[in-house]
Amino acid sequence: MHNTNPNGPSKLRTSIRLSMQFSFLYAVLSALVFAMAYLFTQYEVRDWVSDEMRGDAQTLAAIYEQGGQDALISRVDALAEVSFENARIFQLTDAEGTIISGNILAALDRPVPDFIAAQAIALDGTVHDEVEGYWMREDRIGLYTLLQGSGDHIIGEILEALSVALGFGYLAVVILGLIFGVRVGRLTEQRITAISSTLSDVSNGQLDARIPTDGSAGDDFSRVAFEINKMLGQTKRLLRSQEQITNDIAHDMRTPLQHLRQRLETLRSSTSVEPEDISASLEQTEEIIATFNSLLRIAQIEASDRKEHFESCDMAQVIADVVEIFEPSAEDQGIKLTADLPQGSLNVIGDRSLLTQMVSNLVENAIKHCPKGTKVSVSAQTRAGQFVMQVSDDGPGVKEEDATQVFQRFFRGEKSRSSAGNGLGLALVKAIADMHNAPVSLVDSAKGATFEVLFSQPPFT
Amino acid sequence: MRVLVVEDDAETAEYICSSLKALGYIVKHASDGKQGFLDALDTDFDVMVVDRMLPGLDGLSLVKSVRSAKVATPILFLSALSGLNDRVEGLEAGADDYLVKPFAFSELSARLSALTRRPPMQAEETRIQIADLEIDLIRHSVSRAGADIPLQPREFRLLSYLMKNADRVVTRTMLLEAVWEFHFDPNTNVVETHISRLRNKVDKPFETSLIHTVRGAGYSLHA
Repeated sequence: MHNTNPNGPSKLRTSIRLSMQFSFLYAVLSALVFAMAYLFTQYEVRDWVSDEMRGDAQTLAAIYEQGGQDALISRVDALAEVSFENARIFQLTDAEGTIISGNILAALDRPVPDFIAAQAIALDGTVHDEVEGYWMREDRIGLYTLLQGSGDHIIGEILEALSVALGFGYLAVVILGLIFGVRVGRLTEQRITAISSTLSDVSNGQLDARIPTDGSAGDDFSRVAFEINKMLGQTKRLLRSQEQITNDIAHDMRTPLQHLRQRLETLRSSTSVEPEDISASLEQTEEIIATFNSLLRIAQIEASDRKEHFESCDMAQVIADVVEIFEPSAEDQGIKLTADLPQGSLNVIGDRSLLTQMVSNLVENAIKHCPKGTKVSVSAQTRAGQFVMQVSDDGPGVKEEDATQVFQRFFRGEKSRSSAGNGLGLALVKAIADMHNAPVSLVDSAKGATFEVLFSQPPFT
Repeated sequence: MRVLVVEDDAETAEYICSSLKALGYIVKHASDGKQGFLDALDTDFDVMVVDRMLPGLDGLSLVKSVRSAKVATPILFLSALSGLNDRVEGLEAGADDYLVKPFAFSELSARLSALTRRPPMQAEETRIQIADLEIDLIRHSVSRAGADIPLQPREFRLLSYLMKNADRVVTRTMLLEAVWEFHFDPNTNVVETHISRLRNKVDKPFETSLIHTVRGAGYSLHA
């Protein structure tokens, strides 16, 4: 057992070995079943023979009751007469032991055993050559004694026929079982080989390798293949998205870093350094750090499945706080920011600090994209067992072609490209919402943009 | 003011120490956790700056050990980690404030200054007066030159935080954390707007201004 290579030549492959083991087990079990069938049949046939003799004894007793001695004797004579080649033997004796009727010629020693060899009995006429002995029965009918026997060749013939049938059947079962088992083993092995070679291809970097399937989603192997293919697809998607993020970071961090570098290089070569130049450089550094922190935070939130710090938070309070902090800034920009909240608290289970940031980012996003004279409103309500939070404005709204992209990292609509911001605000909103199992979406509205967060996951009461 | 700086990165340590010395602090530097722990027990410091990732004994364990040795010196945690629960973990270990790297020195000095200000618990003041501005922390009332100034609850919180830290610089992030419990930095200039509203009520009607902007750092309330 030192050969650890599953495909090693000195060892039968698992699937073949298993199917051989099963075939062997099957053969042993079949042998047992067949042997039991044989023994049971033997027992039943004997039982049938003894029932026959008991039936005859009862019939003869009835005849004696009705017709008396003469009727009995003539019936026993008739029975002995019709018995072909002494298959059945009879002897009727009177009270003194004198033989009155039957084809057994001599008296037998008492007690009569259950089985007597054919040679030990003197019989009238020839005996069937397959009869080796007789199963015996003794009954009293009135003053008479009826001794009858049944040749064992009937039993022998039945059992012989049965043995032949069982024997051939057994052979067929074992051979077919072996052929079938090995074939199933081969097929199983082929499919396992297909799976393992695909997985080895994938681990060697061929992310597009998939397990061939016959299309029919029937058996376990197809299901396993399907699941593995699904997982491989998912892995590929995740890797692609990881790649995308890396590219995004490279692109969006490189540009400000380039600007900073240019500024510092200019400062190095200039004769006098103004404090404004240094401040501008520091501000640029701050922006880079802020972008970096946002990216990191999104990644942390997306990767985190730890909800141990979740607690009950009153969203009504969170919204009120956020609206309060942004209200003066909004007002300075000529935007009316209001909160539309129901009486009482609206509790959800979550991370209060993150939920605050989520609402804050949504409000900030609305204020940033709305011109003077518009309204931004944050509302919360329970609707059909769900808790809905909406941030809506009557500003220019989101262009239809941008609607699907607003939650993507670094996505910035055409108009907002020139303004401040790093394009991560709504991506962070989505990450936080997803973490709370609360889908966030841009919903259709007559005017402006409406973002909706739906807390459907209980408990949020 | 004596400050203990436990930081293993030589460049950062040198930057923090020399900048603090320039501000008049007496600085002791420890470059690993064990040395930092011994120093913390050995000398009476006014404040400690502890990096979270240290050789020998990590920052979290250092803070826990110092606290279990009944040393109540205010501790500021410095960390390159900014995980979702790192701040909470740091505060639960016994630190008094938490600052994520990279940081601006003005942020660090403002926070250290606020930490050293902390009075003993029993002597919590109920009334603070700076020049002619008076604030009653129990009655939530504010008056200047004898005239009552009505403030919104959040404006009161903002002013009282500035008053408690009078003559010191408080940064935007300190205000966001203390007044609004925002542990992130909104892009919008929310703090500036609230300060400006507060100025309209507290400073504008009077001859002298008490709330001053400290360029590149934050705000300071002083006569």
